[in-house]
Amino acid sequence: MANLNIVQAIARTLNEEMARDDKVVVLGEDVGKRGGVFLATEGLQQKYGPDRVIDTPLSEAAIIGAAVGMAAHGLRPVAEIQFADYVFPGFDQLVSQAAKLRYRSGAQFSAPMVVRMPSGGGVKGGHHHSQSPEAHFVHTAGLKVVNISTPYDLVGLLKTAIRDNDPVVFMEPKRLYRSVKGEVPDEEYTIPLGKAATRREGSDLTVIYYGTVAPEVLQAGDEMEKAGLSPEIIDLRSLMPWDKEAVLESVSKTGRVMIVADAPRHASFASEVAATIAEEILDELEAPPARVTGFDTPYPYAQDKLYLPSVTRILNAAKKLLDY
Amino acid sequence: MIKDTRRFEPFSENPISLIDDEGKWTGKFDLQLDDAALRDFYRSLIAARQLDERLILLQRSGKTSFAMQAAGHEGIQVAIAKAVKPGFDWLFPYYRDHGLALALGVPAVDIFAENLATRADPAKGRQMPNHPGSKPLNVFTVASPIAAHIPPATGAAISAKVQNTGQVVVASFGDGATSEGDWHAGVNFASAQGAPIVFVVENNRYAISVDLVNQTGSENMAIKAKAYGMPGYYVDGMDVLASYHVMLEAIEHARSGAGPVLVEATVYRYGPHSSADDDSIYRPKEEVEAWKRRDPILRLQKFLKNRGVWDEDWEEEVRQSVTDELAQALAAAEAAGPVPEVWMFGDVYEKQLWPQAEQQKYLEQELGL
Repeated sequence: MANLNIVQAIARTLNEEMARDDKVVVLGEDVGKRGGVFLATEGLQQKYGPDRVIDTPLSEAAIIGAAVGMAAHGLRPVAEIQFADYVFPGFDQLVSQAAKLRYRSGAQFSAPMVVRMPSGGGVKGGHHHSQSPEAHFVHTAGLKVVNISTPYDLVGLLKTAIRDNDPVVFMEPKRLYRSVKGEVPDEEYTIPLGKAATRREGSDLTVIYYGTVAPEVLQAGDEMEKAGLSPEIIDLRSLMPWDKEAVLESVSKTGRVMIVADAPRHASFASEVAATIAEEILDELEAPPARVTGFDTPYPYAQDKLYLPSVTRILNAAKKLLDY
Repeated sequence: MIKDTRRFEPFSENPISLIDDEGKWTGKFDLQLDDAALRDFYRSLIAARQLDERLILLQRSGKTSFAMQAAGHEGIQVAIAKAVKPGFDWLFPYYRDHGLALALGVPAVDIFAENLATRADPAKGRQMPNHPGSKPLNVFTVASPIAAHIPPATGAAISAKVQNTGQVVVASFGDGATSEGDWHAGVNFASAQGAPIVFVVENNRYAISVDLVNQTGSENMAIKAKAYGMPGYYVDGMDVLASYHVMLEAIEHARSGAGPVLVEATVYRYGPHSSADDDSIYRPKEEVEAWKRRDPILRLQKFLKNRGVWDEDWEEEVRQSVTDELAQALAAAEAAGPVPEVWMFGDVYEKQLWPQAEQQKYLEQELGL
């Protein structure tokens, strides 16, 4: 057992996967000599050399596009995009190439690759260092999407993503990189895609979340319990596929649900979960599904903390659900 | 080491040519190809042209939705196919490269089936016409977005380098592609990595209607290579022998570990951009006719005739055998029948996920399957 933060967990996992399979390569801006701007690839180039830990030109299209070709040719690339906000020059490569290669070739070719990206706000990064663009990826059939919030999940899901035969967009809330620590077993384990983690069992309402908002959700859970409530709290972890079964089962039990995420509200992943619940188990609901999300503005700089769903906002939403 | 065997100078002022318009050899070295090889080149050119004509007819007769035209591009396309090691090297073609696919050895039945979207299509009916791909021949399945295949081509070349496989990647594209950010991204990364890749621009002077003057301020495409730190060969892409020898040299350069190469092949597209285009709006008929006089088939034919290895009987024999082969392939592709509706839901992921499973079930119910 080791007590690791998320960045340490990434570096350890990449090291283990590169040692396990020499087809695994890492590429991205500053991932080599510098060990990544967040140090998530620290020490890898020294150990595995510049052919397996590639310092790329400053070009997200080149990074993601080359990863597609490497993957089709037999490697298992793990690409790092320095901030999720900078994925857009490489977005076409994700959407037009990675997501559609298996489909358009009739499964003659595939792109088993991972694109890691620090995402989310709460770091005073303004609109170009704070976004949570998961909806774009979930909306693109052919991509799998992960958004973790603990070191334990990071290890288990990053291993699964690297070994998966489809392209996986792997989102890492940068705000939690060093602030969230946790126990990580020394022995090997993986976590399947599409399986949620129940953080707290309860009976009064269900709180569904993923990624950046984890600290607020968990704190709000504590507050609810102090106030005599019994919330069931579910971390989705994996957004495509997502654990519909666990969500519907929990909401059927509690009858009340909110989905918490920091991405903007319109056409968000939270909206997809809410719509699915409403469509499939409306009769089980005691109140309309609630969304506690970011606002439909670019991510602000000065109002950084105001944008993120807060404990108060989550508690207010809980009160509204219960009072309905 | 490379200099010793090099026959051509990069960044030449005029396109490198080995056969003039009268079919006369103008090369400064002796041609090493025997008569059988030359006849094989000729047959491949004829086959590429006939395939193109067949695909256009399929669109006109309503059997396909669309056709991209490639007549005039056959010289460089056949040259690429003959210069690589088929099934070993990797090809990243674009949507006008069906002649390249055929010359490389992609079965005509696969190509027709892809165009018709029948069960015999390796892509399972998922691609528009003129978007071939072949795993056995390492032909990366064509995608429509211009130059989007260039960074993946670079990635495959880096993979070949890292794994020391000895393979070379050849990526081909039109002149318009050189304006895309993805093109720069891929070419630049390949150069920084010294990856074994040859970039081939089939410069037909028009990106649909936009001519070269509006496409770039560069004096030609080959010269762009200079800024990327690689040789840029400027070759007459309608001279199949010049194209072949330049490709051989470029591929040798890449395979030797000396890094990427850019080849600009000057060609001309005789027809419109596609079945949805009217080229009479943007270029004069006289221009088209002038380029047709430089036709790659015609020039090789004159060359073969001068050499005494061509006569009308053989021409007829070749044309008929190609026609028959294509007719058989087309019949086989059609006979395979349409792809099942539910194939729409396959291969989105390696194993179907629940959204696709639910939606497939929904469609099956709608269709009473």
